[in-house]
Amino acid sequence: MNRADTQEQASLTAALDPNAAADPGKVLADRVEQLYSQLPLGLVATLVVGALAAFELREGRFLEIVLFWAALVVLVTAARGALLWGYRRSADKLGEAPQWLRWLGIAALANGACWGFAAAVFFPSHADEQQVFLAFLLAGVMSGGIPMYAASWPMYAAYAAGIAVPFTYVLGAYGNRLFAEIALLVPLFYAVSVGIAWRLNEVFHSAYRLRHAYGKLTGDYTALNRRLEQQLGELAEARRQVEASGRKLALFAERSPIAVFEFSPEGAVLSANPAAEALFGYAASEMLAKLAADVLHPPVRREQAIEEWTRMIQSREPVIGARHVCTRRDGTEIVVEWSLTPLVNPENRVISVIAQGRDITQQLEVERLKQEFTSTLSHELRTPLTSIIGSLQLINSGVLGDLDKEVAELTTIAERNGQRLLELINDILDIEKIESGKLSMDLRPTALEELVRESLVLNRAYAERFKVRLEVPAELPAIRVNVDRKRALQVMTNLLSNAAKFSPENAAVEVTIQDLGAQVRVGIHDRGPGIPEGFRSRIFSRFAQADMSSTRQKGGTGLGLSISKRLVELMGGQVGFHDREGGGTTFWFELPKLA
Amino acid sequence: MPAQPLNRVLYVEDDEDIQRIVRVSLERVGKMTVEIIGDPMVAIERMKAFRPELVMLDWMMPGMDGPTLFRKMREVPETASLPVVFITAKAAQKELDALRELGAAGTISKPFSPKDLPDQLRAIWASLP
Repeated sequence: MNRADTQEQASLTAALDPNAAADPGKVLADRVEQLYSQLPLGLVATLVVGALAAFELREGRFLEIVLFWAALVVLVTAARGALLWGYRRSADKLGEAPQWLRWLGIAALANGACWGFAAAVFFPSHADEQQVFLAFLLAGVMSGGIPMYAASWPMYAAYAAGIAVPFTYVLGAYGNRLFAEIALLVPLFYAVSVGIAWRLNEVFHSAYRLRHAYGKLTGDYTALNRRLEQQLGELAEARRQVEASGRKLALFAERSPIAVFEFSPEGAVLSANPAAEALFGYAASEMLAKLAADVLHPPVRREQAIEEWTRMIQSREPVIGARHVCTRRDGTEIVVEWSLTPLVNPENRVISVIAQGRDITQQLEVERLKQEFTSTLSHELRTPLTSIIGSLQLINSGVLGDLDKEVAELTTIAERNGQRLLELINDILDIEKIESGKLSMDLRPTALEELVRESLVLNRAYAERFKVRLEVPAELPAIRVNVDRKRALQVMTNLLSNAAKFSPENAAVEVTIQDLGAQVRVGIHDRGPGIPEGFRSRIFSRFAQADMSSTRQKGGTGLGLSISKRLVELMGGQVGFHDREGGGTTFWFELPKLA
Repeated sequence: MPAQPLNRVLYVEDDEDIQRIVRVSLERVGKMTVEIIGDPMVAIERMKAFRPELVMLDWMMPGMDGPTLFRKMREVPETASLPVVFITAKAAQKELDALRELGAAGTISKPFSPKDLPDQLRAIWASLP
């Protein structure tokens, strides 16, 4: 869910909360609107009532003051009309609402004051029946103001006060007992009217609030609807995609050359693809609902199969590359490599297990034949080579008498190449052993510095052939490591002979032992031409040689570094190389130190 | 360490080429007296006659392999205490250890260097009690 979604969600939650307040600005604007909408009726009523009053009170000596009052009423009414006109033309009724409310309040006060003026001036001066008329008129305009100004009770209070205050005053000051009693009633009437106005005001207010909450809800509901629609659309699209990939998956399984099964958590076949039918010789319908342990495994392996199955279901972990002997319908046994993937639901329960099986019977047979071939071949090659090299060594050693110089040269070449052939065979045998996992390490605590010195003695003669010295420039620290002595010497011989082979004449190959804390590093440093850039990445791969012409020139099988790397790794270490300062290369291997 | 240097060596080996090379190696390089036997079935009789100071046995031979012959030697009083060195192409450390446990005096792995063979035998001879 992205940020916009989150915000939308939050606003929806707010709208659905009944306690959330409506926007007070909007409520106020609504009230102002209500007040102004009552105004035309008020204007008309004021003019009509004013005209009636002026007509009734016009008599004799009061004509001038009545005309003045009538003019005042018309003026105030005109001003209120102008206010209405201005409000209606206002472009920002919402923002300017407080200001329009204030002005209308002033107008209401002026309006009320007009009536108050009439009460104060005309009541004492007129005859009895006109006083009754006035009293009715004043009571009428005071109560008539309630619906006019109900949307704002303070406004009504101001308006009614403009009438009630002067009227109460003149009634009280008149000196008549009846009028004095009425003077007491007017404030009461005022209070009751303001109370009604306040009550109405509250009703209006909550109505406005409801209206706004409803409006907001409606808006949010629309947004919610839109969102729902969108989500429904997305769901439909997702469903289309799921269906499409489901069809794709079905097609994959259908056409796959690998047997694909779906099993129930109990191990019963739920479905099988055509490759599975072909592999086991059953139609899918024949295998349905049957336990794999019964139908696919030979009876002697049934218990073991069930046990392994239970373990996988309990761990819910996929099993990759498990090899099992299985039986086909015709009874022939095949070796199948299985990949089993339990499908787990959100409650962490296994719903089903997808199994892919590959027949590796032939592959295993080929591997076995290859291994047999390699070891037979190398044994058969080694036996005659032993005789050839042995004979040549005896001839070349001179114990049988001195040889003609040219004969000696040729028998030396023959011996050296016989030796090379033997090395190649040994290397191939080693590779074969490493790859088939048959190389067993005889790890024993060993003094590394003694092993290094021994390797120097063993390889000195070889280095001398290239006129290269093997040197130890600094004292070797005494460190013990857990290694297979013969294999460690093989690694040293390999690295030393490589270093000697590629060193210039009269150079020295230096050997160091460096204590790295938990590890110890043996370094073999040469002054050779360095490792070509393009060769660095595959220097430890099989049959890797920087330059094929150097093979013939320098000898070597191209297997040595690859074997050394694997041997060191089998002893828990690693090998590497880097350029040496001042030219040449340093090959190193690291081994874990023994405490 | 035995008092006198190694002189009389008997080798049981079926491969004639190797027989020849070992004979030259031990006689010419090592200046020893050598008896070579190709058939393991008659080996014990010939040992009684030759009375070697040390016996070399090939590991793999038709008819009877080296370890079997070795066990048989242990049952015959005249050969029971003879030091035995195995010549084997099986270089795995485990197998060499197994041979030593059988009571072998030493092992020399194939292919060996005929130039160095006499010295290797003398080193084993020197290590004997």
